[in-house]
Amino acid sequence: MGKTRIANCIRRLRFEHNEMTQQDLAERVNVTRQTINAIELGKYSPSLEVAFKVSRVFGKPLEAVFSWPEPGEEGEDEERSC
Amino acid sequence: MSFREKRAWVTLITLIFVLTLFWLHIPPTRMLAPPPDVWVLHVLMLMIATFVAIQIIVGIVMRIRSPLDARTPKDERERLIELKSRAIAWYVFVILSLGGIFVTLHAGANEVGLGFVVLFSFVVAEIANYAMRIYYYRRGF
Repeated sequence: MGKTRIANCIRRLRFEHNEMTQQDLAERVNVTRQTINAIELGKYSPSLEVAFKVSRVFGKPLEAVFSWPEPGEEGEDEERSC
Repeated sequence: MSFREKRAWVTLITLIFVLTLFWLHIPPTRMLAPPPDVWVLHVLMLMIATFVAIQIIVGIVMRIRSPLDARTPKDERERLIELKSRAIAWYVFVILSLGGIFVTLHAGANEVGLGFVVLFSFVVAEIANYAMRIYYYRRGF
């Protein structure tokens, strides 16, 4: 309990986009900074709406930002798909 | 720590503090068949007033210190945490109140004692509510 299987590259994408802060991203997606942090750490799976908003902020398709590893492919790293 | 997580901590600690104070004045065994003394109700009213006063004062202080966070509406994760926690608290309340009524009736409690059992169940359910909120804020789901 506590870890979702959905992986994401949000932290890397933030740094690639002029070192965007979690607060900046949160304001653009209309959630709290703590929610962005929870998503990055895998503690929370966002709704489709928030996932699409995050993808749109980075100008990437949804699958480039979020992924669902096959069983057996899950690792211990935060950004398993990046 | 978000504003709402801090509020959850404050409410949880206040509930435990007030409940402990109440038990120190009126032990649980005495609650089953309390004497019809007015001071029992006075203690109860005092505990409720203490809880409300602490919540108001701490709430005002927290809003003054973090006005932006306080005004930010709940996002989807906070709403979900609240819903899941309330669902668990509901089960705690039902089990404790029904079980407590069953046990205390067999223990020979009077109607005031039964009232205390239901009130106690409600307070414990609220403790469970805020404890689960903190757990979900910390550990996720």
